[in-house]
Amino acid sequence: MAKAKTGSAGVSRRTMMKGLTAGAAVLAAPGLIGRAKAETGTIRMMGGPTVALEDWSLFEAETGLKMEFTPFHVDDVGALYNEILVNEAGERFDLINTLAGVQKNLVEQGAVAELDTGKLTNYGGIADTVKRSPVLYQGGDKDWSIPLYYNADSFGYFPEKLGLPRPPEALDWDLLLNSEETLGQTALDGDFIALMIGGMYLKHRGLADIADPANMTAAEVKIATDFLIERKQAGQFRTLWKTYDEQVANFVNGEVLVQRCWEPAVKEAKSKGLDIEYATCSDFHINWMHATFMPVQAAERENVDEIYKAMDWFLGGSYAAELAIFRGYTGSRVDLGLEYANEAGWPEDKIAQVEANIVKVDTKFSNPNYWIGGAPDDLASHDAEMARFRNA
Amino acid sequence: MAVLTTLWAIGVLLPIMSLVLISFLQGRGLSFLWTFSFSAYASVFVDYRIETILRSLRVVGLVTLIELALAFPFALWLAKGIREGWTKSILLVLLVVPFFLSPAARTIVWRPILGREGLINSMLMGSGVTDTPMDWLLFTEFAVHLGLIGPYFPSMVWPIFISISLIDDELIKAARDLGATPLQALRDVVLPLSVPGIVAGVIFTAIPMLGDNVATTLLGGGRVSLMAETFDDLVRAMNYPGAAALGSAMLGAFLVIAIIIVLAFARLRSSATNPFESMKA
Repeated sequence: MAKAKTGSAGVSRRTMMKGLTAGAAVLAAPGLIGRAKAETGTIRMMGGPTVALEDWSLFEAETGLKMEFTPFHVDDVGALYNEILVNEAGERFDLINTLAGVQKNLVEQGAVAELDTGKLTNYGGIADTVKRSPVLYQGGDKDWSIPLYYNADSFGYFPEKLGLPRPPEALDWDLLLNSEETLGQTALDGDFIALMIGGMYLKHRGLADIADPANMTAAEVKIATDFLIERKQAGQFRTLWKTYDEQVANFVNGEVLVQRCWEPAVKEAKSKGLDIEYATCSDFHINWMHATFMPVQAAERENVDEIYKAMDWFLGGSYAAELAIFRGYTGSRVDLGLEYANEAGWPEDKIAQVEANIVKVDTKFSNPNYWIGGAPDDLASHDAEMARFRNA
Repeated sequence: MAVLTTLWAIGVLLPIMSLVLISFLQGRGLSFLWTFSFSAYASVFVDYRIETILRSLRVVGLVTLIELALAFPFALWLAKGIREGWTKSILLVLLVVPFFLSPAARTIVWRPILGREGLINSMLMGSGVTDTPMDWLLFTEFAVHLGLIGPYFPSMVWPIFISISLIDDELIKAARDLGATPLQALRDVVLPLSVPGIVAGVIFTAIPMLGDNVATTLLGGGRVSLMAETFDDLVRAMNYPGAAALGSAMLGAFLVIAIIIVLAFARLRSSATNPFESMKA
């Protein structure tokens, strides 16, 4: 994506959009249009729905701050860019959580404030492998965001119904993408992460020459899409989902036997009594990290110290421990998480879950075949190909 | 009056003109190049997007016809078939209820009904009608059609109801006194006089339906791609000239269709407004 200006002849699209909407704005009540004033004592955060714990009472008790959380489907990178760069989400939020790779564009567009990590007590203790992970964007060797949590993604499946082993015994992605047995009973992402999965599948099996499935060129993404269209037309996919709720509903309503999904969807479906597992794969995983940054606009606000305090809480033990139980994700200070669980006198089975979670992520991350869920440079091709895939 | 005209120009005309203007620009990253170009139109009107547009027009056309077929008798009954009173008031209020529900909430209810293990399949399999679930009920065009019918029903009923209500009962009585059968009275008196309501109903139903992305997202399962999603895609990819080009083309198409409908109905009306013409001979 190009920079915001195109020389003297170019007019910033944001400026133009503002100009065009100015007429409409005068008609609206000033209270609705005016920038939301920073309210001290309250943190306004936008992020993936899985950032949230069951409620924010722990956050509020430990920080003395209130949390106003707005969920956003952050995997839909185009929509996310639009929300941040065009709709200026930074005007309305103190913290924004995204997939860790997408910061590159946002930093280049000047939407992200550089962090003063000295203000974060828990930051120094984050393992270097996490802090300087290739999954996380750190342009100019600067800290643009804090790593919130990470996981290696795959798909959920019904082991009993399919007669398949449970993790850690490994399966492969044929079960989801290319299997007679599951024909018409699998589901896939409805955004272009689906195309990246197609790209990784072809690359791993040597069926196509794709350099980086997470950042494909127009020609590469076309090959990946052609493969998925062929599978779609063969009747492989029952549905393409767009939201977390749909993932859970597809399991619960018996629409699918195998579904590319987020691990929390499997956890939630399990809690409703279904026998589902989240696969460990022999071929590849989607390694990703969620990171949280402070928008440039927020760095100027009077509640900036509170924003740092909130960030520090996300790097603390209580969040890491609760998240491991609630979502199955690994927080960046999982060591503090384990410490917290022990100190709080958690029952052994819950502590074991936190420990198992650490082992799970270590195992999955040691698989050399992975790609990074982030943002492709050629967003337009990915979106156009996704439209072609949906239409097929 | 001048104030209203100015507000209308600012609030309605200016955004539309901006849309058309942007459609002839070229986007570059987050900015525009100020050169006149058709490239946005060329990039948008490619085979799979044209297919999507044609599919959308087909789906919307069919659902609008179904709505009309369901709404006209209902509106007729509501306007002339039942007396003023509680029943009528309650029915009118019920017609407004869908507007109070979020579009997603009133659409998602179909999933547990149409799904593989849903109400219909459970009933059919439980009663032994079929052994395997009928997959085509959900995540198909059928489901999208079904999902669109409910939410847009009131938009079709209301204008037709109002226009039939305005027909003087004396006219219908006169037709009957002069020997018209109920069907003739309907065809020669009620139908021509309710044309304005039908035209309004078709417009209020079809146009918002073209922009509906809820039914297709929740019930199409990524297998029934409609135009509203194309707009979403283009805006998400920050291809504003592309989205504007598609919008402008649609605007042009709507204008043409609206003119055709108005002319056709005007013609129908002028040829049918005088049912006594044939009796003169």
